[in-house]
Amino acid sequence: MGSRIVVALAGNPNSGKTTIFNNLTGAKQHVGNYPGVTVERKEGYSRYDGHEIMFVDLPGTYSLTAYSAEELVARNFIVDEKPDVVVDIIDSSNLERNLYLAVQLMETGVPLVLAFNMSDEARARGYEFDLEKFSRFFNAAVVRTVGHKGEGMEELMMQIVAVSLQKRDPGETPSVNYGEELEEEIGKIMPFLKGDPLVAEKYGARWLAVKLLENDRDVLEKVSSDAVRAQLAKSSSHIEGILGENPETIIASSRYGYISGACQEAVHSTVEVLHTISDKIDTVITNRVLGIPIFLGLMYLVFYLTFTLGDPPMGWIEGLFGWLGSSIGALWPEGSESLLRSLIVDGIIGGVGGVIVFLPNILLLFFAIAILEDSGYMARAAFIMDRLMHKIGLHGKSFIPMLIGFGCSVPAIMATRMLENRRDRLVTMLVVPLMSCGARLPIYALIIPAFFPQAWNAPMLWIIYVIGVLLAVISAKILRGTIFKGESVPFVMELTPYRLPTLRGVLTHMWQRGWLYLKKAGTIILGISIVLWALTTFPGLPEDKAERFEKEKQAVEATVTDEEMKKEKITSIENAMTEASLKGSIAGRIGHALEPVLKPMGFDWKIGTALIGAFAAKEVFVAQLGIVYSVGKEASEESSELRDQLRANYTPLVAFCIMLFCLVSAPCMATIAVTRRESNSWKWALFQLAGLTVMAWILTVVVFQAGRLLGIGI
Amino acid sequence: MTGTETLTASLEDYLEAIFHIVAEKHAVKPRDIARRLKVSYASVTGALRSLSEKKLINYSPYDLITLTEEGEVAAKDVVRRHEILHDFFVEVLAVPEADADVAACRMEHSIPRDIVERFVRFVEFVETCPRGGQKWIKGFGYQCDHTNTWENCEKCIASCLDEVKVRAKEGGAKAMALSRLKDLRPGQRCKIVKVRGRSEAGRRIVEMGVTPGSVVEVERIAPLGDPIDVKVKGYHLSLRKAEAEGIDVEII
Repeated sequence: MGSRIVVALAGNPNSGKTTIFNNLTGAKQHVGNYPGVTVERKEGYSRYDGHEIMFVDLPGTYSLTAYSAEELVARNFIVDEKPDVVVDIIDSSNLERNLYLAVQLMETGVPLVLAFNMSDEARARGYEFDLEKFSRFFNAAVVRTVGHKGEGMEELMMQIVAVSLQKRDPGETPSVNYGEELEEEIGKIMPFLKGDPLVAEKYGARWLAVKLLENDRDVLEKVSSDAVRAQLAKSSSHIEGILGENPETIIASSRYGYISGACQEAVHSTVEVLHTISDKIDTVITNRVLGIPIFLGLMYLVFYLTFTLGDPPMGWIEGLFGWLGSSIGALWPEGSESLLRSLIVDGIIGGVGGVIVFLPNILLLFFAIAILEDSGYMARAAFIMDRLMHKIGLHGKSFIPMLIGFGCSVPAIMATRMLENRRDRLVTMLVVPLMSCGARLPIYALIIPAFFPQAWNAPMLWIIYVIGVLLAVISAKILRGTIFKGESVPFVMELTPYRLPTLRGVLTHMWQRGWLYLKKAGTIILGISIVLWALTTFPGLPEDKAERFEKEKQAVEATVTDEEMKKEKITSIENAMTEASLKGSIAGRIGHALEPVLKPMGFDWKIGTALIGAFAAKEVFVAQLGIVYSVGKEASEESSELRDQLRANYTPLVAFCIMLFCLVSAPCMATIAVTRRESNSWKWALFQLAGLTVMAWILTVVVFQAGRLLGIGI
Repeated sequence: MTGTETLTASLEDYLEAIFHIVAEKHAVKPRDIARRLKVSYASVTGALRSLSEKKLINYSPYDLITLTEEGEVAAKDVVRRHEILHDFFVEVLAVPEADADVAACRMEHSIPRDIVERFVRFVEFVETCPRGGQKWIKGFGYQCDHTNTWENCEKCIASCLDEVKVRAKEGGAKAMALSRLKDLRPGQRCKIVKVRGRSEAGRRIVEMGVTPGSVVEVERIAPLGDPIDVKVKGYHLSLRKAEAEGIDVEII
């Protein structure tokens, strides 16, 4: 019986780390979050040679300086949790840059295995590696792998076990020589650190001294002694004085010098490749003239794939759940108003349907995103759009979630995952609902033709969408200037070579995202939809009223002989009944209670009640309005009867205000649930809900009052 | 200049040749040097080895030949001396171009170093001094043709002073072309001189391999004109112009 070995997988982004992680662990994975941050923590399990091995897939990082949340997580895991082995996955076709992380890992003194991944690509580029020499330079076992073909996995496992069993002398941590001046200063700082046994024992005095000179915020916080800080300030200014560079530049240069030296010894280049195929592709894809049209074309494809191809499956799912609802509903005798039936049919089945209905969109979107990411195009998309997005304080990559937002906010918010920086991610997430989503279209489609002349229909719709975009831009700017203030994230980003995505990688990615959505966001959505069901159902019609409706129905049955007329009359009574029931429900009462707040916007309780229903899904607004106007549950945006009713009750100004409010106000519950899941806190979800609603209220009040004063649209 | 004190004339020629080839073709191969200096391949290899021993060039089978920081300084020194001598011969002494080149080549090594230094400084002085310079020489010719033109002197001095200011801004020697990374055009190559500031971006840039002394090529500029794509250590890196602002480079 062997022991349990904890292995951390480290590596640069795009080094093929995830593929190797999947290869090593198969399906036995667990995805969670690191406490307190949005960084995902993936764990997987495997057995080898009687040993149980737990793999932790650390976030992809270029370095171990604690600047981003990802780097901090990766470093703290290695330094604090001290895994038995760290495997650094290295893209060996881009060796020097990838070895930078390896040098830093070596300096922490952890048992290290270097996986020279993509070794087939490196060979094609004419590189030959002397692994034994590398092994000596980095004091690590070195294995050659080809992740996407699964080559070298057996040897990697073997080395992991072998390295974990090795006895190591902790005093023998190899180190880079940082040059005379710096070494002298490191020597001066170390004695101060040794006075702090807790710190020095855990991290090693030399490592700490180097980190301090690197101006590492996290380490600076850990070392509180004033004497250390004083010495550090002295050392830093001394170095800057004599060498003309700040210490971190010299440290980075020395590490690269070390790498360069190792490469000179251990790499032989057989062919000279000046321009790779990838470079040639880039002359077209990021071309000054063609770049933007290609980008827009690809974005259209993503949009088409997600929403147009996703539409039929959504229809099937809706149909399936509709059928399920009605067949289960049929188990109860006709006409019986059983509460349990209503809970199961309207609450639970409706709720589950409401969760699953997004699944085709999410799967297809992540299929497309995985292809864009794995092929290397995503970095180019950010490269092309960055100028525009940077103007509103966001990163080039934010463009894609915002575009997806026109289809549906739920997958759009999930797409913010590709933004590495938390600030950018949260800002994008919070403003995405302002991109008018597809579910709001039925509201506009109902209202615009009812209130505006034919010629104005298209421009009106356009105006609504543009208002959304402008508000998103303004909100993003405001958020970046207030809550998310701070230096914008550097756009220092690798443009990885183009690679052919593997079907397996893409499908795995798609599946993981879909599953995560069902598990995490799904439960919240289901919960809220049951609450909403309760709000619109309880307390139900009082007995006397229900009886009166029943009597009216019976009277019609008895007196009216013409079948058609009878049906019509009964429908209208039933409609009146649902109206009365909704009016008396908690939602209806809330609608009434909200009237003082709704009044300044020109809304009455009927709109208020419909808005509460719209929280389930924006398009529900139309159906709810149908109920409160006794047009029936099945009212669609094409209903001319409902349009007549609206025209009779509201002015065009109010109609515009309804659209404006629906555009800006609280997004649907699914959006809130996904924001909760993706931001990993209720705080941001509720902030989004409240912020957008307050903004909508203020805007609508201003528009309504100004319109009334100026006499526009009344 | 301590390292270069011991260089022989021929090694200085090699250094100069490497510097020029780097400027023209970006990549230096032994056979290019052999062709340029009209020497055998074997003597090139020998010279390269000895330059590498003096730590003036990076020379190994794995990589292309590049100048080390010290080598760059030494090469520039040779080139600068050569250019100034050459210009003096052509422009002041009116020696034909080809002859001037040959003479400059010989003189730059054979005259004792301190005398060359003094001569170079004199030529530089003549070229830029408001009371001398090219206009001074031309003025001499003008004087020969027209007598009694002293009243033009004031104007002449003013224009000379302007030129001095411009030259001071440009940094004097022609071989030195200091610039900022963000100002480079696609296709231009440069060597990183300094990454200024202690910002997050600056540090990231250095960690991604844009270290002082490394060679960077600007590949392209994004369609909207902002982020730029540079090639460093064999891979592509994109950065915003605002981030490239703080990077001083030397165009090569």
